[in-house]
Amino acid sequence: MHTQDFPQLASIEVIEQGFESLGYICSTKIATAVFLAFALRKPILVEGPPGVGKTELAKTAAELLQVPLIRLQCYEGLDEAKALYEWKYGKQLLYTQVLKEKLGDLLQGAQGLAESVERLHQFGDIFYSEEFLEPRPLLKAMQQERGAILLIDEVDKSDYEFESMLLEILSDYQVSIPEIGTIKASVSPMVFLTSNNTRDISDALKRRCLHLYIPFPSVELEERIVRSRVPDIDQVLRRQLVAFVHSLRDLDLKKTPAISETIDWARSLLLLHAHQLDEEIIHNTLNVLLKFEDDINTASAGLGELLRSPRRA
Amino acid sequence: MQASLVTFIQLLRSHDVRISPAETLDAMAVAATLGYGERERLRDGLAMALAKTPAEEAIVESCFDRFFGQQMADFSNTREERERGEQESGDPQQNESGAERQPADSGNEADAGSDSLLAELAANDDAVQALLDSPLLQQLQNNDRNALNLAMGTAAEQVGLGQIKMFTQKGQYTRRMLDAMGEAQIRQAIIGLEERQSPALEELRRYRDILREQVRDYVQREYLLHAEGHNARFMDDILSHTRLSHLEQRYAQRVQVLVRKMARKLAERHARKRRTFRRGRLDMGKTLRRGIASDGVMFNTYWRRTRKDKPQIVAICDVSGSVAAYAKFLLLFLYNLQDVLPRVRSFAFSSHLGEVSELFTRYPVEKAIELVNWRYGGATDYGSSLQDFARLALDDINSSTTVIILGDARNNNGDPKLEIMRSIYQRSRRVIWLNPESRRAWGTGDSEMLRYKTACHFAAECNNLAQLERVVDQLLRLTR
Repeated sequence: MHTQDFPQLASIEVIEQGFESLGYICSTKIATAVFLAFALRKPILVEGPPGVGKTELAKTAAELLQVPLIRLQCYEGLDEAKALYEWKYGKQLLYTQVLKEKLGDLLQGAQGLAESVERLHQFGDIFYSEEFLEPRPLLKAMQQERGAILLIDEVDKSDYEFESMLLEILSDYQVSIPEIGTIKASVSPMVFLTSNNTRDISDALKRRCLHLYIPFPSVELEERIVRSRVPDIDQVLRRQLVAFVHSLRDLDLKKTPAISETIDWARSLLLLHAHQLDEEIIHNTLNVLLKFEDDINTASAGLGELLRSPRRA
Repeated sequence: MQASLVTFIQLLRSHDVRISPAETLDAMAVAATLGYGERERLRDGLAMALAKTPAEEAIVESCFDRFFGQQMADFSNTREERERGEQESGDPQQNESGAERQPADSGNEADAGSDSLLAELAANDDAVQALLDSPLLQQLQNNDRNALNLAMGTAAEQVGLGQIKMFTQKGQYTRRMLDAMGEAQIRQAIIGLEERQSPALEELRRYRDILREQVRDYVQREYLLHAEGHNARFMDDILSHTRLSHLEQRYAQRVQVLVRKMARKLAERHARKRRTFRRGRLDMGKTLRRGIASDGVMFNTYWRRTRKDKPQIVAICDVSGSVAAYAKFLLLFLYNLQDVLPRVRSFAFSSHLGEVSELFTRYPVEKAIELVNWRYGGATDYGSSLQDFARLALDDINSSTTVIILGDARNNNGDPKLEIMRSIYQRSRRVIWLNPESRRAWGTGDSEMLRYKTACHFAAECNNLAQLERVVDQLLRLTR
């Protein structure tokens, strides 16, 4: 993908505005990463705690550029047959059957074995050819004519072999298929990899990527995010709820509430017609924010404290 | 600017951020794309291209600030005047009337009052006049921080300040930098003024002191920038080449961190999938070939299988007094590699032998090692320990087992039971013997090393961390 085709990515400011118009409020750092990834044709490895909008970033980028988003969810045991390509075995078997029937015509008039074999060699063999190739997400992303956003989600969950396989794709935007040769992307896709840091990604992979760490947002940024996602919510309530979530993040919780939870909570509060945070309403809706019984108990115990001294005050 | 980017990357490397040449090129591309205009933006961009973890990102950012953001202190006047200037900054008019010497920000009008003594003197003295005209003194007089900073940068380059390694070099480099900047001229003038007991002496001395202070600060900053990371590495280097039994207690913490770091490095290098799958991809060629027998109809499909391999490591450690320190580090190493090493079973012995694997699953590594030492310490008897081992675990040793033995092979003249070693040797995939004694001492006195060595695939001297790392690296390559 080239810059001149996509005025949406002309500069960092333009990217920021573009993302904002689609409801994704990003920090300058994120916009810088997108800009650089695009200008330098490098993949971005996005790391950060779950729920800070790593996957959303790729989705929004696809929306902004109006190119298809091709997503590959990684898991243990993901191999190239599921990620890259697979042969259409059924059709290949049929093809051999068809071939056998045609064999008589092909070999007609051939004198002796040697000539038959020669004829056979002259016959174009398409058994291993692109006709019988079933593209999987990675190959598909490279075949898109207008370019694409390729999202390789949770790459830390995949195996080391898969990671090594990615190297060729990420640095040269090409794949090697032993039976055919190398297939190169006509328009290189823009690649986002996300990782939750459940294990260390190999240095070789990291080296090929821009590294973007998205932390939990600041209070101001999170307020802007909530405003853009849940526009109907009252301003006072918004400020209160964001401050409350931030003070929750300071507690020792099993699963710290992320942006997605803040948004969900804001939506639920809106549905309940709440105008202000009080202990009762928090108590009733805490399960939207916290996903473990232990966490809910921890938070409930100090609820009065948390409400009285929000971080900002 | 490119040159300073390269210096910046060298600096990062000295702070333990691994940066390859390819990444250096990336950094250049980033800088070219973003431009040098906006510092924040450039910093973010470089951090993205160079850092690989959030921790490294923090290092890159702080180094960036220190490297590119060298702000000089305001040295406009003596301290009390600076304070007065701050107090009065809200009321510039009063400042005008009250201060004898203006803060230099307010410009040249200050020169009239402050430099009159020197200027007067200069009228009668060519040397002083020449001094006054020198760019150095001009910068000092006008409080021109940018120009002075530039001059210091040039001088630093001349004397190679970037090479500073030790804090003891600070004075030397300060001196050289002052010389390179032409401080000698001021010194000469001061001597001249002292002889004449000129009233301008104080004034010139003040400039000299300011200059020295600035240069000293500059050197200090550069020292922190370049030498700090380097020294930490130097320390690690020394520690990893010290005999493990000689490591002082106060370094224990540091050594453990070092072991963990080495283990992580090895783990990364050897990390590979161990899980295999029952059914691989369809083996089309084989399916077709086998089909020929049934006239090309492919009755049976054949699948590529991956060989299943369940490697196992057995560590047998001598924990008698002479070798205990080494055993500790080997175990520390092995158990820090649990992610990549398959199953590790560990045995400890001195007079008798027992399995201690369970201690390691129950307690943190350091604690478990203490318990092992406490439980099995004593005088060594290799023969009976090997017998114990044969009874406990010989049946479990098969062609995918690697046996590591750590010990000095000093058997107190007992029966070495070489035949047990032989059977271990025959059954296992590899037997590795690590001996903390130097090769020359093998076989001397009551050491049975030369005999045991015949029943090992590989025997190595191993008495410091660097050697240990090399051996474990090799071990990983061979076991997996």
